[in-house]
Amino acid sequence: MGQLKKILRTDSSANVLSSLIAILVGLLVGFVILLISDSSQAVGAFGAILTGGVSDMKSMGQVLYYATPIIMTGLSVGFANRTGLFNIGASGQFIVGAYAAIVVGVKCTFLPGALHWVVALLAAMLAGALWGAIPGLLKAYRNVNEVIACIMMNYIGMYMVNFLITKTVFDSLKNQSMRVANSANLPKMGLDQIFSEGNNASSANSGIFIAVLIAIVIYIILEKTTFGYELKACGFNQDAAKYAGINEKRSIVSSMAIAGAMAGLGGALLYLAGSGKGIDVVDVLAAEGFNGIPVALLGLNNPIGIIFSGLLIAYLNVGGFNMQLFNFAPQVIEIIIAVIIYFSAFALLFKGFIQSRKGRGGKASAAAGPAAAGIPISNDKEEGQKP
Amino acid sequence: MSILYFLVQQTMFFSIPLLIVALGGMFSERSGVVNIALEGIMIIGAFTGILFISTFQDVIPGQPVLILGILVSAVTGIIVSLAHAYASINMKANQVISGTAINMFAPAIAIYVARLIRTVQQIPFVNQFRIEKVPVLGSIPVLGPLLFQNTYITTYLGFIILIVSGIVLYKTRFGLRLRACGEHPQAADSVGVNVYKMRYLGVILSGALAGVGGLVFIIPTSTQFNATVSGYGFLALAVLIFGQWRPGRIVVAAFFFGLMKAVASSYSGISFMQSIPIPSYVYKMIPYVATLIVLAFTSKKSMAPRAEGIPYDKGSR
Amino acid sequence: MEYIIEMCNITKEFPGIIANDDITLQLKKGEIHALLGENGAGKSTLMSVLFGLYQPEKGVIKKNGKPVKIQGPNDATRLGIGMVHQHFKLVHNFTVLENIVLGVETTQNGLLKMEDAKKRVVELSSQYGLEVNPDALISDITVGMQQRVEILKMLYRENEILIFDEPTAVLTPQEIEELIKIMKGLAAEGKSILFITHKLNEIKAAADRCSVLRKGRYIGTVRVPVTSKEELSEMMVGRKVSLMVEKPEVQPGKVILETKGLTVASKTSHKNLIEDVTFQVRAGEIVCIAGIDGNGQSELVYALTGMIPADSGSIQLNGRDITGESIRKRGVAGMAHIPEDRHKHGLVLDYNLAYNLVLQSYFTPRFQRGGFLKYDEVYRYAGEQIERFDIRSGQGAKTITRSMSGGNQQKAIVAREIDRDPELLIAVQPTRGLDVGAIEYIHRQLVEERTKGKAVLIMSLELDEVMNVSDRILVIYEGKIVADVNPKEVTYQDLGLYMAGSAKGGAHNGTA
Repeated sequence: MGQLKKILRTDSSANVLSSLIAILVGLLVGFVILLISDSSQAVGAFGAILTGGVSDMKSMGQVLYYATPIIMTGLSVGFANRTGLFNIGASGQFIVGAYAAIVVGVKCTFLPGALHWVVALLAAMLAGALWGAIPGLLKAYRNVNEVIACIMMNYIGMYMVNFLITKTVFDSLKNQSMRVANSANLPKMGLDQIFSEGNNASSANSGIFIAVLIAIVIYIILEKTTFGYELKACGFNQDAAKYAGINEKRSIVSSMAIAGAMAGLGGALLYLAGSGKGIDVVDVLAAEGFNGIPVALLGLNNPIGIIFSGLLIAYLNVGGFNMQLFNFAPQVIEIIIAVIIYFSAFALLFKGFIQSRKGRGGKASAAAGPAAAGIPISNDKEEGQKP
Repeated sequence: MSILYFLVQQTMFFSIPLLIVALGGMFSERSGVVNIALEGIMIIGAFTGILFISTFQDVIPGQPVLILGILVSAVTGIIVSLAHAYASINMKANQVISGTAINMFAPAIAIYVARLIRTVQQIPFVNQFRIEKVPVLGSIPVLGPLLFQNTYITTYLGFIILIVSGIVLYKTRFGLRLRACGEHPQAADSVGVNVYKMRYLGVILSGALAGVGGLVFIIPTSTQFNATVSGYGFLALAVLIFGQWRPGRIVVAAFFFGLMKAVASSYSGISFMQSIPIPSYVYKMIPYVATLIVLAFTSKKSMAPRAEGIPYDKGSR
Repeated sequence: MEYIIEMCNITKEFPGIIANDDITLQLKKGEIHALLGENGAGKSTLMSVLFGLYQPEKGVIKKNGKPVKIQGPNDATRLGIGMVHQHFKLVHNFTVLENIVLGVETTQNGLLKMEDAKKRVVELSSQYGLEVNPDALISDITVGMQQRVEILKMLYRENEILIFDEPTAVLTPQEIEELIKIMKGLAAEGKSILFITHKLNEIKAAADRCSVLRKGRYIGTVRVPVTSKEELSEMMVGRKVSLMVEKPEVQPGKVILETKGLTVASKTSHKNLIEDVTFQVRAGEIVCIAGIDGNGQSELVYALTGMIPADSGSIQLNGRDITGESIRKRGVAGMAHIPEDRHKHGLVLDYNLAYNLVLQSYFTPRFQRGGFLKYDEVYRYAGEQIERFDIRSGQGAKTITRSMSGGNQQKAIVAREIDRDPELLIAVQPTRGLDVGAIEYIHRQLVEERTKGKAVLIMSLELDEVMNVSDRILVIYEGKIVADVNPKEVTYQDLGLYMAGSAKGGAHNGTA
């Protein structure tokens, strides 16, 4: 028992525990809402939420399909968090990446099969990186708060992409972007055979493997390389990083660019999944970008954790579809996720609480990520030229 | 000339909500709590307000139902902001995360409840609140058509809020203590000011104003509420920052951005603008691009409240 | 009942540490009572308990013999207790008047009424000789005036018991004399004064009695006129302390650091932050830059290390011009820097000890290959440094630096910078906030570098340190070097005059 207690008191288990608590509370709130709305159906509906994702093979495939883009946006937000930035711009980066991929997919049919989708993915990463780099540059060189800049870029991206679609790859009947050529779609790698029910194949495809692979790459970058050492140092303490000779401006821009590339790639992986989905030309921000936030928070900004939390959120979403059979609006799932985010902000308080039982520090830091990821609208750039 | 009047009138519809919400954000941030949940609170405020109006319009006619609606919006705005206050002040959580959670929660609950009680997510209402012409004042040459025709009481409410906010912030004891909490909470604490209480009040004010702002935004610009305020809450944040957290500059920023938005939405009604071949999307993007440019040039010497975003911990000295 | 305030058996705990352990303190009416102890002894905590900022776990506070409960600054004020904090609690963009009335504002119909308050402030100001400008913004006034504002805060609230927490840290010797005169004046008017300090000179000059704390415990109370500095010091530390630093004779060698006309402009005022600074530091000598905080010494160091750019002038290291080079390049060229603020610049507190120890060298071939960190080597190196420099921490190299004590954090920084084997070691306030043991240790390390033939440049606000450790003293005033003197040939008084800009002395270009 002593051993168990010791394990439970470590940093990592306290973290995981606090994430679990946030999830449980979110689910509980969802259940209560269901009960209030229609108590007779509530239990069945809740059950559907909990089990929908594994109810059959097709559903499981759909979980993988939905998980893929939000793992990517989760990595985007999480990576930025580790380096002290709050990337609320994943939505804009996501959609410009998606657009770039679709344009390549529709227009560059001269590219041979395997190359086509690879180039599309690269185009998406490039577009996303650019979209992320802009707020990064504004922050690094003009001290513009990255949260506001990213929010502006979200809207600019949305409007711009909608406009460009109508000019370049428009399907006016469906008010969406056109279908991409088959060679641009991600290879299925047999996943559609495995994850199907009878004749109904899920949209599962190799995208999930790509997402997991990228997560591993990000993990290696953060933990094993000098580049990661520098980025984390900037995230924890920008002043000390500068003192140590690290070019903190370059770090900020690189971080945001990488984060943008992740989100952009997420957009590509979603729209090149071969599920027939196109970008709807409506003035609505891409939700996948914002869903990256709970994924990152629950995954504790750790790439491996993000894989799991991405799967979890996707799982809840699939459950949400099944729940509609019970006559509840699917917004319940969004509510659950919002509540989870809210309570995950407390998560570190739980951690502090658990650890203070032993009188260990006991002072929980306020941020889910490094301390700097608060909201540095102000900056200590006042007189005295304190660098 | 009539184009000018039209433009000014339209600008009011877009600027006043920005002004009200930005002033709300100002109270919160001046007390030390960052509140990016303004968007979400606007949605909740608009939702409850419109729902109230839509439900009671037949029973209570004209402006009174609007006034009651405003009260409803304020109250629900306060309730939602309490969640943010609790997370940020008592739990010392990351204020951006808490705000984001509320922003995601608000449209979801608005749609959910709408579908629950009305089966569709849109809440329609009849706009009987437009004032064609204010008696006496509306007949003044130039000023009349500019400010007192085709208007709503919400416009005047906005200006009243502006003036009261300025007085409260700079001329009252409350304002002095609030600002101290946002700049140097330890100093305030050491002279006996209850920092937690002041911050709660700051956030509550922002909730009330954002809630009202949401309703004020929907009334003149639509005939139904569809669980969105089109990013106005975020634009209000930009107004706040551009306005350097001071009422005098906030009102300038609010009118600047409001003007951009007005042009974007009503250029089709202005003949000479229609002949210029600029697609509507460009107009839509202008406020956001303008914000970025302005921020790029004004952020170097930011006068943000020094202690904002940093949870206050009595233990730390 | 001769005591106006008694703190009886006060115990105050924080998680993991007992800051005050059964302490009893008695203050007589009209006396100046010093509270002496090393950094970390618990003096500030005890006074914070008195002022209501903390609640004690055990113990009772009595005023005039009657037990009282002080649950917040408001209670303290009502009992007539006021406090001037070490780090001023002033709102930078409020006026002097607003800061004084905050918390006790007079209002009419809900609106602030400042005229009466202003009259009262002006009255008090002249009565006690505390010159202030009520309408000036805090950010625009000098530190000395800011301190007077803090004192006026107390007098405005009619406090009878005044607590001063390390009041002299930011003052020139002349201003310190003035402050002591003000304190004596206040005591003569019947106020009772408690002042916290670790400076023996001031205690001898000002206090009637002195209570000593050590590691959270009460050691004793003495009458100051009959107690020597050595006795006070021994009570404070628990053993005999030599107040001198041992320095072997060393002949300075070639010029390692040379600056010519170094100037850094200010973004907000016309006066330059540092102006036309020209001096040299040779191998085998310790040069100390002395001055009152805020006279440009911080900016000088930032300019030397590259953290801010110089607007004109040049810097040469070992004969090579490094004026425009990046921080990294200067480091690689042989400049090491122990920074002023160990938490802000010196360490990434959320990194573990090993990562912090390689903060300046992680990019060298020793610790990385092809961009990938070599863990084994990093941790092996950390282990070596921990041994060599006796750095204490909870879990060795893997300890998260945030949880280490201030002294050990500083040791880690010193270890890292010295191990870089630099030609020039710049140390800014290297012993600030440390206990006597750690101070002795760091002074020893600095002297050793000097013996090894390195050039050492120290920035310090502690005159004792400046006089004992350095071979040469440069005094900075308003961004200019105004004196270049030998510590053996100058008195504290002279230094004070230079620091206040009242005189210029020594060779002007700062060469030996």
